[in-house]
Amino acid sequence: MSSNHKGLAALRLLVAIIFLLPLLWMITASLHPPGEPLPTSLRLLPVRPTLAHYGRIFQLLPLGRYTLNSLLVVALAVPITLSVSSWAGLGMARLPQAAQRRWVVLSLAVLMVPGVALWSTRFLIYRQLGWYDTVWALVAPAWMGTSPFYVLMFYRAFHRIPAGIFDAARLEGAGVLQTWWRVALPMARTTAVAVALLTFVLYWGDFISPLLYLRSGSRYTLPVALQTLQQLSRSDWALMLAAAVWTMIVPIGLFLLLQPIFNRSQKRNLSQ
Amino acid sequence: MLTRFSLTNLSHQTRWRLLLLPYAVGIIFLVVIPALLSFGLAFFHYDALSSPVWAGTLNFVLAYTDELFSLSIRNSLSLILIPVPLRVLGAFLLARLMQGNGRFLTWFRSIIYLPTVVPAAAFALAWLWILNPLYGPLNLLLQTIGLNPPAWLVDPVWAKPSLVLMGLWQIGEGFIVSLAALYDIPAELEDVARIDGAGSVALLGRIILPLIAPILLLLAFRDAIFTFQESFTHIYLMTRGGPYYATYTLPYFIYEQGFDLRAFGPASAAMWVLYALTGLIVAALYVVARQWHIGTTEETFVL
Repeated sequence: MSSNHKGLAALRLLVAIIFLLPLLWMITASLHPPGEPLPTSLRLLPVRPTLAHYGRIFQLLPLGRYTLNSLLVVALAVPITLSVSSWAGLGMARLPQAAQRRWVVLSLAVLMVPGVALWSTRFLIYRQLGWYDTVWALVAPAWMGTSPFYVLMFYRAFHRIPAGIFDAARLEGAGVLQTWWRVALPMARTTAVAVALLTFVLYWGDFISPLLYLRSGSRYTLPVALQTLQQLSRSDWALMLAAAVWTMIVPIGLFLLLQPIFNRSQKRNLSQ
Repeated sequence: MLTRFSLTNLSHQTRWRLLLLPYAVGIIFLVVIPALLSFGLAFFHYDALSSPVWAGTLNFVLAYTDELFSLSIRNSLSLILIPVPLRVLGAFLLARLMQGNGRFLTWFRSIIYLPTVVPAAAFALAWLWILNPLYGPLNLLLQTIGLNPPAWLVDPVWAKPSLVLMGLWQIGEGFIVSLAALYDIPAELEDVARIDGAGSVALLGRIILPLIAPILLLLAFRDAIFTFQESFTHIYLMTRGGPYYATYTLPYFIYEQGFDLRAFGPASAAMWVLYALTGLIVAALYVVARQWHIGTTEETFVL
């Protein structure tokens, strides 16, 4: 039995290493000293690792501004998404049974609309609204809660809350928004954190919206900055990968930071 | 529940309904109207500069006879039909592997999910480097083992497999969903089966898989949509549809028509096909779901 256990543990470790490999390879390649020929044999670290590229990427591009643009997008998109999706989820949970089912079916139907099919017509609409080439074109999906999936997540969480709690809140004189903020949302904390993280990752890494709906370089976000860099210096791998690492530091950092919260709820939900 | 008809009761009810308003308005402006527009534009010539000109079914004929269009559909399908079941199966097997208790298990699970947190553009550049035929770590690794590795993205035959390969690292979402589904199965079931003498493989195949199948099906659908769209970023940054149109997919065709050539008419006609394909898949899902007697309960909405 014990050798079985050891085998299992080894296999799990191997899988974990395999999944880490691409990220590790990215980082080690970005440490390659500028100007030197690329190694033709596999090495763990370059001979003289250097952080020089991380400085260069800020010199070649206004990467600081692009980072701020990305931050602005998520600073707008995450709260708006959380509000709209949790409102909708709560509203759905408070509807009579038949109406609930209708809204769930509607949400599923919207969920199945392929995003690709909305690209060009959304472009036309944003132009009409004056959102083209502004941050609002990037944040736009937040106004519908970014995805019906998040609405359904909140619906699922709020559905579990017994009606008695809402009645009690109402008796205490709480209005709808107060109930949402003080009663419902705290009871769906894990869902809210999950949606916040997923939304953050989505908007931070969104390449297609800035590609299609932005024109001025000054408003670019990090993903399209990567493309610009690629056009500038196609074969400077270390440079491009340094920029790629920079782009992924924030979402990964956030993800690792929030791990304890998910682990705690995972342990609660998955404990056998 | 209303015992008295009074203004206060009514407005409270209405105020709950109002919570749904932003969501509803958002859906109308961001999904319904663009969708309807794309249905309509398919019948016009439109380049976003001058007014639309009626074109009847010309765009559909053009698309139908356009070699690139049919090629893009074939490429998209081949990037979905085999890879998606592979990924879902991989996610399920991984979840099975990572099920249970173990010291570092939560960390391992996070590691598996980690690549999905990486922005698509960064992931694309990373793999552009990894798959580099001369200096990329993958080929260096394969060479040290003694293999003669292909040119990956530069080779028309290996370009699509390259995309499939890199997609395997992003099964984190499916992994988490499969894990949750596995934990939903009562432990007693497994114990009883083992007492009855079932080996691990039989346990997996006869008991667990059938129970999880509905979730895996939903996962497959979601994964198909995800791969279909997200691959655009990867393709745009890594191959631009090449080499020799090997990775020229339907989203890429739509992008080129709409944003490079400003031909919104043909782009919209292509979108019809997309809607039709999606509709077919949904219908198929629905039929299969009814076969398995999946009701419209919350349980199945573990998307």
